[in-house]
Amino acid sequence: MAVLTSVQRLAIRQICGRRLSERREGFNLTKADLDAAIAATDSWIDSSAASFNSALPLPARTTLSATQKAELFFLVASTRYSG
Amino acid sequence: MASGDTLAIFTPYHNEPPSSIYATLDIRNGHPTLDFDGTTDEEAVFTGILPRHYGGGGITVDLHISFTSATSGNAYWQVSIERMDDGTLDIDADSFASAQGVAGNPNATSGVMTLASVGFTSGSQMDSLAAGEMFRLKVRRDADGTAGTDDVTTDAELIGLQVRET
Repeated sequence: MAVLTSVQRLAIRQICGRRLSERREGFNLTKADLDAAIAATDSWIDSSAASFNSALPLPARTTLSATQKAELFFLVASTRYSG
Repeated sequence: MASGDTLAIFTPYHNEPPSSIYATLDIRNGHPTLDFDGTTDEEAVFTGILPRHYGGGGITVDLHISFTSATSGNAYWQVSIERMDDGTLDIDADSFASAQGVAGNPNATSGVMTLASVGFTSGSQMDSLAAGEMFRLKVRRDADGTAGTDDVTTDAELIGLQVRET
């Protein structure tokens, strides 16, 4: 899958801003700085997708869809780092 | 009346949300606020009547704002006036005059308000609004930075606004 479009990245920035605002969580990255972080995260995922896939054991590696693998990654990451 | 005299006061509950891109009502420690998104421009609209004692010297709009969490950076605000003159304006369409802009940036302490004041000269900037006439006042946060620098990612809050004679 190719990296996200600029429209998709902008939508992510808006979601980030919305969630931070709802939590009233201190946040002083500028829009440009956050956009750079989103772009870097997207690029890292794009370049690391094959490595992540190889790390998955069978049968998960061949049974789960790409979307399911992404959801798995998201759930594990968010649970590890939830406050 | 004289320069500096208050002509109108609006608080969040006076907002008449536009059909789209509207600022959203929120509560902060019991204070009603209107939250303006950090990415998409959003607006709030208020209707009033310019007092008959307005002396014709132009107006200044004072925005009392805060930010949900930002304590640094820049935000840009735009205010525009629509004259609702009897016998002339067709209220089925908007006819706001060109917006006047002002920077209104976060205080170093979250929860401490910032005062941002924007002036309108008498005449076209005020849509030629005259004493005794109805008007609408629109407040917009220029979150996408089209007209000014706005690099705060999170929500900005409008706590209240005052219209005074310049």
